[in-house]
This record gives sequence, structure tokens and C-alpha cells, in this order.
Amino acid sequence: MLKPEIVSQLQKITGKEGVLTAKEDLNAYSYDGTATWTHMPDVVVLPTTTEQISQVLKLANENKVPVTTRGAGTNVSGGSIPIKGGIVLCTTRMYKILDINKTNLTATVEPGVVLQDFNIALAKEGLFYPPDPQSFLGCTLGGTVAENAGGPYCVKYGVTKQYLLGLEVVLANGYVMKVGGVTVKNRTGYELVMLFTGSEGTLGVITRITVRLIPLPAASKTMMAVFDDMVAGGQAVSNILASGVVPAKIEFVDNFVVRRIEQMTPMGLPVDANALLLLMADGNPAAVETDTQQIVDILKKSGAKEVKIAKDAAEAAAYWKMRSAGFAAVFGAAHTVLAEDVAVPRDKLAEFIKKLGEISERTGFFIQYLGHAGDGNLHPSIFTDIRKEDEFARAQAAMGEIFRAALSLGGVLSGEHGIGLEKQRFLKEAMDPVALDLMKKIKGILDPNNILNPGKIWEEEGA
Amino acid sequence: MAGKREFTEIKRFESDLEQCMKCGFCTFWCPVYQEERVESSVARGKNLMIRGLLAGDLEYTKEFAARLNKCTLCMTCTANCPAKANIPNVIVAARADTVKARGVKFPYNIVYRWILPRRTLFGNIVRFASWFQGVFLPRTEGTIRHLAMFLSALGKGRNIPQIAPRFLRQIVPVVNRPPAGVETRMKVGYFTGCMTDFVFPELGEHIVDFLTRNGVEVVVPKEQGCCGAPAFLGAGDFDTGRELADTNVKAFENVDYIVSDCATCTSSLKDYAKYLADTPERKEAYARFGEKVYDISQFLVDVLKLPASAYRAAPEVKGKKVTWHDPCHLVRHLGIKDQPRQIIKSIPDVEYVEMPNADRCCGMAGTFSVYYYDLSKKIADKKVESIGSTGADIVVSSCPGCEIQLIDSTIRNKLPVKVMHIMELLQ
Repeated sequence: MLKPEIVSQLQKITGKEGVLTAKEDLNAYSYDGTATWTHMPDVVVLPTTTEQISQVLKLANENKVPVTTRGAGTNVSGGSIPIKGGIVLCTTRMYKILDINKTNLTATVEPGVVLQDFNIALAKEGLFYPPDPQSFLGCTLGGTVAENAGGPYCVKYGVTKQYLLGLEVVLANGYVMKVGGVTVKNRTGYELVMLFTGSEGTLGVITRITVRLIPLPAASKTMMAVFDDMVAGGQAVSNILASGVVPAKIEFVDNFVVRRIEQMTPMGLPVDANALLLLMADGNPAAVETDTQQIVDILKKSGAKEVKIAKDAAEAAAYWKMRSAGFAAVFGAAHTVLAEDVAVPRDKLAEFIKKLGEISERTGFFIQYLGHAGDGNLHPSIFTDIRKEDEFARAQAAMGEIFRAALSLGGVLSGEHGIGLEKQRFLKEAMDPVALDLMKKIKGILDPNNILNPGKIWEEEGA
Repeated sequence: MAGKREFTEIKRFESDLEQCMKCGFCTFWCPVYQEERVESSVARGKNLMIRGLLAGDLEYTKEFAARLNKCTLCMTCTANCPAKANIPNVIVAARADTVKARGVKFPYNIVYRWILPRRTLFGNIVRFASWFQGVFLPRTEGTIRHLAMFLSALGKGRNIPQIAPRFLRQIVPVVNRPPAGVETRMKVGYFTGCMTDFVFPELGEHIVDFLTRNGVEVVVPKEQGCCGAPAFLGAGDFDTGRELADTNVKAFENVDYIVSDCATCTSSLKDYAKYLADTPERKEAYARFGEKVYDISQFLVDVLKLPASAYRAAPEVKGKKVTWHDPCHLVRHLGIKDQPRQIIKSIPDVEYVEMPNADRCCGMAGTFSVYYYDLSKKIADKKVESIGSTGADIVVSSCPGCEIQLIDSTIRNKLPVKVMHIMELLQ
């Protein structure tokens, strides 16, 4: 339990309205988007300035109080859950877009800016910030940096780290440090911006973010391809990528999701399709036409039973809404859903899908999956019930097999969600031990008292 | 102080409670969250709080009730939820269980339990309050009049329109037949609602006149009462809600259609079956009653099927630019979106312009705006910004509650826009 003096000191820093201690409020900051984990903080702090964050960290560091930084809590790794109690430092009240520079093609924002709000503001200027985790309606920019988030647009445009130019970070001792800058090129020393990108709140608190932007693509076309066979769908993705055309997005939806979505929101989807690919071509209108034709040809040659081109923006939007509703369809399907986030090299996608089929047969668990086929990032899910001890253990073991199958193909443990709490148990197998040790040493230098999001990424010694 | 742990009403909506998978998309849509940016504001946070109550982690405390009340029930979260989780259902149910455990607090207990169910007394108190209003509060600009949240709204600095000198119930007869030469096509009951009755009686007269001229016999039962929304939706006082529901069901026993000019009333009347049916008899009676209830624009377009030529501009709106504000209770609770637009677009001599975010909550939400007036104002300011961006002369709606909020907030923001009910556009 936190000493009452700490709470009154926090109130002095942020004002009373910035400190929540009622049990009802603590409950509301005890979870993220995952099903398995919850833990109450002792206090929630909602700062509005960098200076306040600096003072909060100084206080926490002197008193060795854990600080878990949280944006909107839309993450799906357990990363923002205050597993050791202490302070939840929530950045949602720092939501100012500080600068949009049309000539330098950059923007600077506070960490609590919501990704969708950011892109709405940019679109008014004809600009675009592509990293698009599917939580874009809720997630904050600070969170997307801390998780190095990405989404469907990654195929063509990459993930968060490809857009970051500069950060302001408050260190554990309260020092406000600036790294990087506002230039597209910057070769000054180590890439310290990258050190904090994907650090999951364990190295510092990000308080200001400068990103580069691109012009909003003038046109886009959305295609939907139906496959009888999921392996053939995976092969089609590899064929497209090998052909020289780069679609903006290539997404994969399986039969389970198609049926669930049609059930929730009827929109005339082909419910007998074993696999659907959703693709988008974007750019200038002429290029979009030729790219679309090329993609459609390859899809058909790769065995697509049917290829539809969305006739207008409304139809395209309906398809993408279906995709973004995909995980709701999956998460609502069972009491406990174990969802993985593995990524494999893109040319190994068909092979990985085959292996998923084998694992399903061997373990007896139905394996549902959807994901970003264009970047080899799939989210295989297993439906189980955490209340049934034996079944849950077997489901976790099956997940282990999925992860190892990805690894054996040269894949990685997490494509975009991060490790947080969910994937800690696999980390040792997924990393070079020296690299893992290096991470711990970096953490030790930046946060010697281990106050910043303790208990995350790697399993604690003796745990 | 914690009350006894019973979850009778919440349990009825357990599937809604379970449906949420914590994605947090509701944060983007919630008008309250957008102002406060704290998790307890939004559907996800409230839902998890209620789950915490069921799990025994939380109790029916004052803090719990305060967070439950901080919701306009605008349903925008549900409309945009990937899992279609109806958290407002759970919130209303939890308000009811909280009331069972803790009781209704003063002065709301007096209002809900004692005054609302007694229409004549209610009217007299409103009139009594209106005298004080004249004494203590500045008269508002223009010709607007209102006040039903009189007890609490007093003294909060709101631009409060005045109480009508004569209430609608004192003006219109019970039976109103079409004028000579007009064939009677159907007979409907008119649910007048508190706002129209006490604050906007000329709107009620106008509606009766419009309907009768278009071949509708209009019955205005004197026995009808408040729809109950402030009691059962706002405060979770289901007992009073049932008392009012039974009164209204009985009052409208002998008509096939019931029309209402208030989106909140319309939706609440239809909600009796969902929230208040505690016996099989009530369930059946409330369901049958609910099916008869129509919003006025929906009635004109879908039931009466008036030709476009029936919609002629009232003299004072000719040549004006008009925009439409979707009341939450109309657009999301009842799915009525096209009918009012169709009516406005049919009127020659007025120009229709769609406002951005026309369906965003205005922040009124009845008792919500009484408990949280400052927050309610912030939500309203965003609406005013939308209205202002259209350059419209008139903003039209179909909910006297919304209209009061729009009157207050356009005056506060010095936006020279007239606020009208859709029926006032029509001659």
C-alpha cells in the first residue's frame, strides 16, 4: 500500500483533479485489452504537462514506487496493467497536437493524442500518418510508440518506428531528455529514439513525439478474394509480393470470422468461403488502376474462386470494417481466447498455415486465425476457458507449439503487440541470451530502482 | 455506506455485460469520455466496474453511483461497438439495483416518488416555481419558455426559458376531430410529455391542429402522466417507473396509435417492456403498448404516409436555411434517421443543410445535465460548433429536452440560430 503522504504529494503536483484514489477508479485502470490479467493500482495520476510527469517520476523514484504508464489501455499484451500496484500514470489528458508542418512533412504531438484524431487532423491538410494498429479509434500515439505498433498498412508503409524522428522522454529520475530531432536524416550518435520505441514503458515516459508524414494517397481500390483453401490464399500473397507490385494492405480472414461477422452484422459476405483476402492498392489514380488489375490477375491465377473489386468508398469501408471487427468476432466467441501475434517471413506464410492445421489436428483445438498476411503477421487464436484448469493448460501448451512452429520458420514471437505479460514465458526461446541480458543491463542503467513498468517483458528471476 | 448485495436487474442484462471484450473503441465515441478522458466515464470502464460489483470487488457506494450516473445513455458506444455490446442497458439496470440497495436521495426522492406520478400537483409546483423564476432569475432572450428540471436547474446559471402561462392540458380538449369537410382517416392518442405540456404548449396545439387538418382524430387523455424517463432511466427508480407506466398504459388503452413529439418520451414509452416488466401481465401489456407508440415524424411518413405537398412552410421559416439535430433517443434508440430529413427536404421554401456529426449527443440527457451541468455544457459546445459550421438560420429537432439544451448553449455561445421543433416548421 502506498503511503498517504505520497498521494498528497501527487495531488500537489497535478492538482486534486489529476489524482484518482477511489476504488471504483482504480478498478477502471486494472485492465487492458487482454482477457487474462488484471491488477489494481494504488493510485491513478492524470498529468497534463511534461513538468508534472517529471515531478511524479522524481517522487516515485525517491520512494521506490512502481509507475506503469498507460495511454488508452487498448493494448493486448498485458503491458499497461499495473501488476505491482503503485502508480498508473495515464497520459490521456495530454492530447494536444502541437504542430503540423506541411512543408517539412512532420508533426509533433503530446502522447495522449488518439491516433484517429491525429489522422482526421492530418487529412484536413492532405497528409497521412500510416501506422494503423486496429485499435486506432482508441489508442494514443504515446502507446503506439511504446509498443512500436503497426497494422495493415505495414505492407507498403511500415510500422511506427519507420516514422519516428524525435522524442522527449522523462527518465526514471525525472530528467527530461530529448532524443532525435525534426529532420528526416539524423546520424548523431546511437539511435536512441529506437531505444524507447517498443520499450513498453520500461525505460522512460514518452512526453512528446515528432513523426514524419506522407501526402494522403489520392486514390485507393479495395479487393476481396475468396479461396477454397487457406494454404492457396497464403501462396497467393507470396505470389503478389514476388510480382513487383506492393499493395497498401493484404489482410487475411478465415471462415470462422466471415461467418461470425455475417451473423453480427449481415452484409452479404460469402459465408462458405474458407479464406478471404482483403487487399488495397493506393497511390495516384492511374497507378491504382494498373496495380489493381495486376493484383486481380495474380489472385485469379493463384486459384481465387472469386475476386470482387469494391465499387465505391462505402463498399470498401464495409470490407475494412469487417476486418477491424474481426478480433471482436474472435474475442466474443469463447470465455477465454488465447490470441497469438506471431510473424513469419512472408514467403513462409503458406507453410506456416499448413503447420497450424497439423497442430490443430494433433492437439484437438480448433485454431482460428486472421491477420496481416502481407507482412507475415498472423493472429492464431485458441478458444478455451480459464476456469477449466486442465483444458486451459492444454490450450497454453498448444499455443507454445504454434509459437515454436513460427520460430522454426525464421519467425518471431510478436509482430506488433509486444511482450508485456502475455508472451514472457516464451521470451527466452525467442531471443539470443546475450541480447536478453543486454536489455536487462540497459534497463538497469536507465531505471536502477526498477520503478518503470516493473514485471514486464521478461520473467523475473525466481518467478 | 454500502448496501445489500443484490443484482436482480443487472442479471437480466448479463449477456450485454459479458459481450464487452475491452477493446476500448468506445473511448472514441463517448461524449463524456471525450471531455473527461478518464476510464470510468466510458462504457468499458463502467461495464468493468459493474463486473467488479458482481465479483464482490466493489460495493454500492456513493462513488459507484456517481460514476454510474455520469452517462447520457446516448448509445453511441453501442452503435459503434464491434461486439454490439449494449452497455447502456447494463448501466440502467445497475442504477436500478443501486437504488434498491441505497434508496433515492433527497431531493430526488421527493421529485421522483411524490411529484412526478401526480400530474396535477406536478403542474402546480412547476407553476409555483415559475413565479420564483420570474423573481430570482433573469428572463431569457427571445420568446423561449421552458423548465421541467425546475427544482435543480434553478440557480445554476442556465438560460432558463419560462413556464407557459397556461399548460397544454388546460388548453386542448380530450377529443379533437378533423374540421368539417376533412375525412377522418384514423384515431390516435397524443402523448404530450412534460415539456410540451408545461413549457411548449403552443407546439402541442400546433400538432393537434396539423394532425386534425390531415384527417386524424387526436385524443389527449387527461389521465396520462410523465413518461418516467427521469425516474427509471435517469435515477434507476423502477418502482416509480412502473407506477407511471401503468398509468400511461391505462390512459391510452382505447387507441391504436400513440404519437409523441418528444424523442425521449417515445423511446422511454417503448422501453417499459425492456426495463420495467416484472410480471408476465406487465410484460404483455407494456409490449403491446410499446408497439403502438410512434415518433411524430415517423408517424407522418410511415403510417399516415402524407404526400410531400402536405408539408408547407410556416410563414416565419420561409426562405430560411435549416439543419437537423438527431436526438439520441430517435436516431440510435429507435433507428429513426431518414423520416425527419425527408419531411424537412419536402418543404418548399426552406433550404436543408446537413450538419457535421448531426447525431452526436447534445449533452442534455435529462437528469444528467442537472447532476453534471458543467460537463453537459462542454458536450453542448461541440454541438454548437457543428451547428455554427452550417450557417443555418434554424436548428430543428424532435425532442424538447434537446431543444432546451440547444437554446441554452446557442445563447451562451452567442450563436444567432433559432431552435425549433420540426413540427413548428410546418404550416
